[in-house]
Amino acid sequence: MRTVVGWGLLVVMAPCPLQILTAQERTTVGGYGEVHYTNPTGPKTPPVVNLARFVVYLAHSFDERLAFRSELEVEDAKIEGGKAGGEVGLEQAFLDYRLGDWITLRTGLVLPPVGIINETHEPPTFNGVERPGFDHDVIPTTWREIGLGAVGTIPGGSGLAYRVYLVNGLRADGLSAAEGIREGRQEGQQASFANPSFTGRLEWARPGLKIGGSFWYGGTADTNAAVGTGSFGAPVALLSADARYESGPFAARAVVANISVSDAQAVNAAYGKSVGSRIAGGYVEGAYDLLRLVAPASSQKLNAFLRHERYDTQASVAAGVTRDRSLARRITTFGVTYKPTWNVAFKGDYQLLRNAAAAGESEVLSLGVGYQF
Amino acid sequence: MTLALAALLVTAQTPAAPPTKVAGSIARLFGPGARVDTLRVDTVSVLRVSRADSLLGFAAVGNVLGKDQPITFLVAIDPTDRLKDVDILVYRELYGGEVAYEPWRRQFRGKSTGDSLRVGKEIRSISGATISVHAVTLGVRRMLAELAAWHQSGAIR
Repeated sequence: MRTVVGWGLLVVMAPCPLQILTAQERTTVGGYGEVHYTNPTGPKTPPVVNLARFVVYLAHSFDERLAFRSELEVEDAKIEGGKAGGEVGLEQAFLDYRLGDWITLRTGLVLPPVGIINETHEPPTFNGVERPGFDHDVIPTTWREIGLGAVGTIPGGSGLAYRVYLVNGLRADGLSAAEGIREGRQEGQQASFANPSFTGRLEWARPGLKIGGSFWYGGTADTNAAVGTGSFGAPVALLSADARYESGPFAARAVVANISVSDAQAVNAAYGKSVGSRIAGGYVEGAYDLLRLVAPASSQKLNAFLRHERYDTQASVAAGVTRDRSLARRITTFGVTYKPTWNVAFKGDYQLLRNAAAAGESEVLSLGVGYQF
Repeated sequence: MTLALAALLVTAQTPAAPPTKVAGSIARLFGPGARVDTLRVDTVSVLRVSRADSLLGFAAVGNVLGKDQPITFLVAIDPTDRLKDVDILVYRELYGGEVAYEPWRRQFRGKSTGDSLRVGKEIRSISGATISVHAVTLGVRRMLAELAAWHQSGAIR
C-alpha cells in the first residue's frame, strides 16, 4: 500500500477515503551531517578537514497522539580518552502528546526556540559551510535544555504558531566575554534546576515568508549567593527577532538579538570574568539561485549568497571592565551552495573575519558537504 | 443530506479518526447540504459531491509521510477536473504545520494536471516547513492526477 517515490518520501493512498489513517506504532530513522574543509589565510595555518557533525534522528510514535523524538550527535568524528575535541551528545530527546493542532504538550531535552538556526540547523537549510558566527557567540546553537512546555498553531487561519517552555537555567560560571552565554548552557547533563527559565517564540508564516520573535528569561546564579539569590538571581534576558523570505530565485534572511546580563558585575567579580552586560548583534543575508538564469525548469539550485554579521559580546560592560573592541565582530561571508536535491548541499565560501579593534583579523576559505534525510 | 453524510461517515471504518473533519471539509468546499456518494475505483474510494442532480465535483483523502508522521489531506476537484482546494485533515508532525494555512493551500486552487505543481516554482515553500511542503505537494499532485484520470476515463462520473 505504500510506494516509494522521489525524495525518499512515502505516499500512502488510503484504500478508503473516509478511513483517515491512524498512526500505528512506527519507528523512524533519519539524520543529517556535514564535512568541512577550512583553510585560513596566513602561514602556519594549514587547511583542516573535519567531519563536523554526524547526527542520527530516531523517532517513535506510540499511537496517534504520543510520540518520542531524538537526535544523537557525534561532533568532530570521534572522542578519545585524554584527547581534546570531539563530542557525543543528545541534541534533543523529548516526548510529545498531541491534544490538537492548537496544542501539543512536550517534555524532555528541548531546543529553546530562539532565532533561525537553533531549531532548523540541518546543513542544507542554511548557506555557508559553518553556521554564522552569530549563531555560535550570541545565540549559542545548538542550544538544548531540559524542561516542559507546549507548542501549537493558533487556530482560525491566522498563520501564527507558538512554542513556550519552562526549562533549566543557564549557569553564571560559564558566561564569558568572547562567547557570551554559550558555555552557560547545561545541555541536559546533571543540570542544576535552581533557576527555572522561560523561553518561547511566536511566528507568523505566509508562502515564502516567515517572521518570528523569541525570548529567554531566567536566573543564572545557581547556589552562588554572591552572584545572586532567588530563582531569578543574576538574570539573563534575551530578545530576538528573525525573518526569512523567498521569492522565485531570490531568498533573504535576517536575525537580530539582544541579551541583557544585568548582574554582569557580580558575575565578573565571582568568577574573574569580563562578561558583557549586554550582548547584541545580528546578520542579514541575501541569496540568488543562479540556475534559474540558465535552466529555469531545473529543480536543482545554485545559490550565490552574501551575508554580513555584526555582533558584539561586550556591547555594554559593567563598571570595572574595559571593553575589548576585538569582540565587536564584523564578518562578511560570500559563496555558493549547490543543491542537487533540496536535502543535499555542496558548499563553498570565503569569510572576511574583521573586528572593531582590527586585531587578529583573518580570512578563511571553506568547502563543505551536508545532507539531511 | 448532512444527516445522510454523517450516517455514512459513522458507518465507515474510521477508528480514532475524526469523520467530522471530512464532513466539515466537504461542506466548506462545496457548500452545506450537498449530496455525497461514495464511488470505488480499485481499492480507493472517491466522494462524489452533487446537488439537485448537478455534479459539483469529486474528493478523496490521502496520506503522505512527512518526516516521521503521516499527513492526512483531502483533495477536491470540480467537474472540469480543476483542483478546487486542498485541506489538511490531520497534521501530526513536529514542524511544518504551516501547510495547513489557507494562504499556502490557496496556491493549489484552479490547478489542473497540465500544471507541473513543483515546490519553488508554482508552489512557494515555507521556511522551516520544507519537508511537509514537499510531501503535501507531491501527495496533492498524485491525487489530482488520479482523480482527473479516473474522471476522464469514466471510472468516476
